[in-house]
Amino acid sequence: MRLGDLAAMSLGNYARSRLRSALTTAGVAIGTALVVLLIALATGAENNVRRSIFSIGDLRLVTVQPFQPGANGLSAVPRTIDDGVVSQFRKIGHVAGVYRQFDAPLGQVVEGGDDAAIRPQGIEPNAPIDRGDLLAGRHLALGDRGVAVIPGNIARLVAPNVTAAIGKLVTLRIGGAVRLGSTRVGGSGTPRDYPVTIVGVFDEAASQTSVRIPLEDALVAGADNRGLTADSLRQQTGYSGIAIEADDSTNVAEIVRSVQELGYSSFSLKQVVEQIDQGFGVFRGILAGIGGVALLVAAIGIANTMVMSVLERTREIGILKAVGAAPGDVRALFLAEAAYVGIVGGVLGLLLGYLGGQVIERIIRELNPRTNPAPIFVVGPDLVLGALGLAILVALVAGFLPARRAMRMSALSALRYE
Amino acid sequence: MSTEQTLAVETRDLACTYMSGATSVAALDGVTLTVRRGEFVAVMGPSGSGKSTLLNVIAGLERPTSGWVRVDGEDLAALDEAGLAGHRSKRVGMVFQAFNLLPRYRVVDNVALPLIFAGVPRAERTARARALLDRLGMSSRAEHRTNELSGGELQRAAIARALVGGPAILLADEPTGNLDSANGAALIALLDELNRGGQTVLLVTHDASIARHAGRIMHLRDGKVLD
Ligand SMILES: Nc1ncnc2c1ncn2[C@@H]1O[C@H](COP(=O)(O)OP(=O)(O)O)[C@@H](O)[C@H]1O
Ligand SMILES: [Mg+2]
Repeated sequence: MRLGDLAAMSLGNYARSRLRSALTTAGVAIGTALVVLLIALATGAENNVRRSIFSIGDLRLVTVQPFQPGANGLSAVPRTIDDGVVSQFRKIGHVAGVYRQFDAPLGQVVEGGDDAAIRPQGIEPNAPIDRGDLLAGRHLALGDRGVAVIPGNIARLVAPNVTAAIGKLVTLRIGGAVRLGSTRVGGSGTPRDYPVTIVGVFDEAASQTSVRIPLEDALVAGADNRGLTADSLRQQTGYSGIAIEADDSTNVAEIVRSVQELGYSSFSLKQVVEQIDQGFGVFRGILAGIGGVALLVAAIGIANTMVMSVLERTREIGILKAVGAAPGDVRALFLAEAAYVGIVGGVLGLLLGYLGGQVIERIIRELNPRTNPAPIFVVGPDLVLGALGLAILVALVAGFLPARRAMRMSALSALRYE
Repeated sequence: MSTEQTLAVETRDLACTYMSGATSVAALDGVTLTVRRGEFVAVMGPSGSGKSTLLNVIAGLERPTSGWVRVDGEDLAALDEAGLAGHRSKRVGMVFQAFNLLPRYRVVDNVALPLIFAGVPRAERTARARALLDRLGMSSRAEHRTNELSGGELQRAAIARALVGGPAILLADEPTGNLDSANGAALIALLDELNRGGQTVLLVTHDASIARHAGRIMHLRDGKVLD
C-alpha cells in the first residue's frame, strides 16, 4: 500500500464519523494546550530569572572573600588573603586570571564637598568586576598611578558635566569621618590627601560611591592610614577580595571546590544559576505532569474511540482483507487514523495554548500595568515540536492496541460479523 | 512443468477440520482436484458440504489442516499472512453471496479497492476499474454509491472488483444466492461470457440449474468429492 493511499484512506475514515473524531480530537487539543500553556509559563519564569541573573555579572567569575567558612555555614572567621594565597589561587586548574582588590578606607573628593563621599577601590586593570558603562574617558590601564575613575554623580559635583571632568586634578581625602547620605561615619585613622587625575567617568547606575583607583595607590593609602608600609599591609591585612576568572563557566564548580579546600569562602553566580536551573527543572516537571494527566485522559478517549471504531468496522476489515489488504496495511490504516487525531489535536492544542497564553498575559497586564515587561509565556520551537510530537505519540500509543486487534482479526469471521 | 502452467488450481488431500467444543467437524475431508486454465467448473453440494471452505482455502482466507493447494503454480503453504494477502490481491478474485461492497465508497472506488493493496497508483487504478465496469455494462453506475444499486448491479460490481487485479481464477461463492431468478440468470450469462473470453471460473452453488452452465460439475458431500 502506498503512503499517499494510506494517508488518504485513513483521512477518509477519520473524517467519516465527524462528531466522534471531533470529540476525541478536542480531548487531545485540550491536553496539548494545557501542556503548552504550563511549560510556556515555566519557561517564561525561568527566562526572566536567568535574564536578571545574567545582568548581574559574569558566570565565569568566582569571588573569594577574606573569610573562612564557619562550621555552621552562618558564622565566618576572618582569614587573610596575602600574596602567598594569591599565587596558590593562580595555580588552580582552569584559572584564566586572578585579580586582586583592596578597598582603601572611606573618603571624600574634596572638591565635591560633603556630598562627594567615596569608597576608594584599588583594582587591577581588566578586573572582571561590574565597572558600569563609561560616560566619558577610559577605564584604568596597566601602569596607571595617581588616577581615578569616578561615578557620574561625583563628576558633576566637581565639573559642569562628565566630559569636562576628564583630565581634572582633584584631591582624594582618605580616612577620617565622612557623611554617607544623612549619617556621619566615624571613619578610620587620620585623613590624608592624595592628588589624582580623573581619567574616566562611569554611569552611577552601577554605584554612586565607588571610585576606582590603581591597586598600588589603594595599598599605599591603606598603609598610610594605619602607619604601615604597603608591603606589611599586604602580609598582615591582606587583600579585600579576589576575583578568579575561569577559562570556562563549566569549570567554575571545580575552582570553587579548590578555593574551599584552601580554606576560603567564595561565591559564584554560576552555582546560583545551577541551583535555580534545578529548581526550575522540578517546577517544569510538575507543570508538565499536570498537562500530561490531561493528555492521558485524552489517550484513554482515543483508545476507547478506536476500539469502538474497530468493532463497528469489523465487516469492512474483513472485506479489506479479503480483497488483499495485508495485516500490516490494516494496522497502518488504524494507526494513521489515530495519528490524525494526534496531529489535528496537537496543532489545535498548540494554537489554543499559545493564544490562551497571549490572552492571559494581556489580562494580567491590563490588571497590573506595572508587571515586568518580559513575556510571561514563552513558546519556543522546542516546545512547539515537543508538544506536537507528544500529541502524536500519545495518539499512536493509544491507537496501538485497537490497531493490533484489527490487524489480527480473521478475515472470515470478520466477514460473518453482522 | 507444462501441467503446472496449464493448471489454475491443484489441490491434494485437502482436509480442513473445525473444532467446536468437544466435537470436530471435517469441513473438507481429503479433497483432490484440479482446475485447468480457461475452465468453468461448478462445485455442487448441499448446504454444509464444505463448498465455501474449499473456496476459502483456495482464496488463502483459510489454511487447510492438511494437504496442499497450488494456485497458478504457487504453493499457498509457503506464504505468510502478508504473502496470502498478496495472493488475494493478485492471483484470485472472490465473489460472495453477500456482495461485500463498501457502502461509503463509489462503485468505481469499490472496484479499484484491491489495486490499492497491490500498490497500483491512483490514476491507473481508476482507469482499470472504469474499463472493467464498461466491459460489464456498468459504466453508468461508476460514480454511484452502492446503496443506489440493485442486487444484480451490486453483484456485477463485485465481479468487476474480483477481476480488476487480473486474477488467474475467479472464485464465486453462491453469487446468485441473493438475486432473483432473472438477475441470477443474467449473472450466470456474464460468468459464461467471461469464461469464453478466457477467464478461469470456479463457481460454488447448490442449484443444479445454475451449475448446468459450467463446463464441468464437481459434487461435494461431507467434505469429499464424489465421482
Ligand atoms: N469457522 C467454522 N467453525 C466451525 N465450523 C465451521 C466453520 N466454517 C464452516 N464450518 C462447518 O464446516 C462445514 C462446511 O461448511 P461450509 O464450507 O460453509 O459449507 P457450505 O458452503 O457447503 O454450506 C459445516 O458443517 C460448517 O458448520
Ligand atoms: Mg457456503
